[in-house]
Amino acid sequence: MRPNFQEAIVADKDDNAGNGSLDRRDFFKGAALGAAGLVVGGQSAAAEAPPIQPAPAVELPTLAHDLAYAMPAQASGPPPARAASQGRPASDFMVDVIKKIGFEYAAINPGSTFQGLHESLLNYGNNSAPELLTCLHEEAAVAMAHGYAKASGKPMLVIVHGTVGLLHSSMALFQAWADRVPVVVIVGHNRNPSGVINRPHSAQDMGLLVRSFVKYDDEATTLERFAESAMRAYRIAVTPPMGPVLLTVAAELQESLVNEVPRIPELTIPAPPQGDAAAVREAARMLVNAQTPLIQIAKLGRTPKAWDLLIELADALQAPVDVMGYSSWQKFPSWHPMYGTGGRGYTPDVTLGLEVTDMSVQARAARASGRKTISISAEYLFQGSNIHDFGRYSDVDLAIAADAEETLPSLIEEVRKQTTPERKGVIQARGKQVAAAHKELQLNSIRDARHGWDASPVSIPRIVAELAEQIANDDWAIVSGHQFTGDWQRRLLNHDKPYRYNGDCGGFGIGYDSPASVGGALAHKKFGRLPVAIVGDGDLNFSPGVIWTAAHHKIPLLFVIHNNRAYHAEVMIIQRMCGVRGRGNQNAHIGNVITDPNINYAQMAKAYGMYSEGPIENPKDLAGAYQRALAKVRAGEPALIDVISQPR
Amino acid sequence: MALRLTIVALGLITFGSALSAQTPAAAPLAAPTGNAQRGKTLFETSLRCYACHGFDGQTGSPRLVPMARAEDVFLAYVRKPATQGMPSFVAIPEADLRDVYAYIRSIPQAAPNADSVPLLKGVLDRRAKAN
Repeated sequence: MRPNFQEAIVADKDDNAGNGSLDRRDFFKGAALGAAGLVVGGQSAAAEAPPIQPAPAVELPTLAHDLAYAMPAQASGPPPARAASQGRPASDFMVDVIKKIGFEYAAINPGSTFQGLHESLLNYGNNSAPELLTCLHEEAAVAMAHGYAKASGKPMLVIVHGTVGLLHSSMALFQAWADRVPVVVIVGHNRNPSGVINRPHSAQDMGLLVRSFVKYDDEATTLERFAESAMRAYRIAVTPPMGPVLLTVAAELQESLVNEVPRIPELTIPAPPQGDAAAVREAARMLVNAQTPLIQIAKLGRTPKAWDLLIELADALQAPVDVMGYSSWQKFPSWHPMYGTGGRGYTPDVTLGLEVTDMSVQARAARASGRKTISISAEYLFQGSNIHDFGRYSDVDLAIAADAEETLPSLIEEVRKQTTPERKGVIQARGKQVAAAHKELQLNSIRDARHGWDASPVSIPRIVAELAEQIANDDWAIVSGHQFTGDWQRRLLNHDKPYRYNGDCGGFGIGYDSPASVGGALAHKKFGRLPVAIVGDGDLNFSPGVIWTAAHHKIPLLFVIHNNRAYHAEVMIIQRMCGVRGRGNQNAHIGNVITDPNINYAQMAKAYGMYSEGPIENPKDLAGAYQRALAKVRAGEPALIDVISQPR
Repeated sequence: MALRLTIVALGLITFGSALSAQTPAAAPLAAPTGNAQRGKTLFETSLRCYACHGFDGQTGSPRLVPMARAEDVFLAYVRKPATQGMPSFVAIPEADLRDVYAYIRSIPQAAPNADSVPLLKGVLDRRAKAN
């Protein structure tokens, strides 16, 4: 049973060790007794009550007083150096485990609950593999890891402070969860805290704070358990369906001294599940015999292998590939003849979903009209979720619980095996029609960029077209999402490599794009690619400190700020609501626009130490700004261009 | 964040193409009766039509230029739109809407031909060669 407030104060004897003039325990006890006395007095006959004396002046606890609790060593001089014979810091062993897993980077915002591990990473681990990335907010740290994982195929380690750091990181963990992306988070935990600063950093159940959106969490209470839990956490994170995991590590364990350490287990990653052979055969039969098949993809593309496999399948079936919307990783070339939904009038009689989380709409529509749906997804292996991101129940005709990427080779083989010469003729004829329709649609969609071409503020297609011209000869990668830039980057840039686009946030909350872009750019750095992020002003304001992180760690990245000075989608939403209620439009901007004063993101970037240009309002100024900023990025630095943009 | 709602609403707005002037008019339109300069102010700062349609009526969805609707047809539509995505401007004085109409008509009505824009011509050529 938990002690009540007053019992807890009385029991907290250690709090006052080394304290100066005021015994805080006595202060609170006195206050409590005084209050009790007043109550008793209130119940007594007023005539018997002694006259109330003025309370004696007391010295309230000061910040220095609280810091003395939190950091007793600093308060009383430097701690004595520990003799080697006392043992080795346990957190050194933790670094050995972390190194064995193979993390390249660990993103942190510092906190005393992991000071032992932090020191070991620096002085025992030599700040190398993993190298620490200094982040100015834990949400940015996890979002960087999110973007990095999608671009590199490997999780990044993130280390956060007990409770406060974990809570700061929670939004980004939610995004990674919704995007099915692996991130490994260690949270420090002061299990026996003393002092008013440390106590709020402790919890009875640390993992509970984010358990709705992590795939696994555990608290390591021994080194043996730390080693096993770390391996297990990593394994669970990268096993489809992937997701973020959390490992709570007691500060006391990190800072303990040990003479013997347990064995570090080997990291074994299970082979992803393949679809059942009979079910895959049936899926191939349905697809080969379809007149108008359609392939839809979402979280497909754990590895670059999926890119090639999907092209193979689309070519074998001559079926259009719908990369779907914002929640998709969109791992299919944007100028491929099969990129699209088949053209006008193409109604799929068989729809194949590959890692499409929610196929309920397609399934219901298909059942209502005698058409068929197939779903291959690791989502069927999900153990549970408090978040409704899995959507409605999808009553597809054929559901295969398996990793779609791992199942593609057998599906392609079956499709080829079952394609008779007669069907091959039908398939090839369909392919020609689909390719022609796609090409016409795509050329027209490119021509649409002419509207508002010379407008000021600058149109979004102009921003992208000018960029496309400048990076045409670079090995570029768009590391931001496209939630607020429409589909212009896919229309105007040929996404011909799996790393050209890194996907959106997953959970439809802003604040992801800017830090995730820095993480994605970091993944591309060793390959010498040119990363570009087109992010909204609203997004950047959630974690502007990531500009400093990119500058500090010299992560090459071109930030293009799509600065429409508003949470613009919300402007439209409220305008519509005003209209629905017939109360006029005059107030619709309040709470939605970011003006008066306008924010100068170029100046902001300069303050954080990054090269910048802007604000740019005339589209004719874009080319020069791009050239100068890209020269910096090609030289290994980040740069930012602030473009005053059309609202949408 | 209400972004999930936002996406739905954006979809609705995108579907709201009824205001668009893409349908060619049968006959030349009569000259607007309102004050275009005042209409620009209303468009940009009061009614904030730019939010969906872009500052020049060209970059949003639906596009407002070239405007093919007659003035009275435009007024009737704005007061009672045929789509859920478009706010209903029932409380706006008629004179204001006529001024907005005059502003839209004052915007250069033709976008450049894509093939005449070197950057877009380059993209079109690259796309055409891709397959």
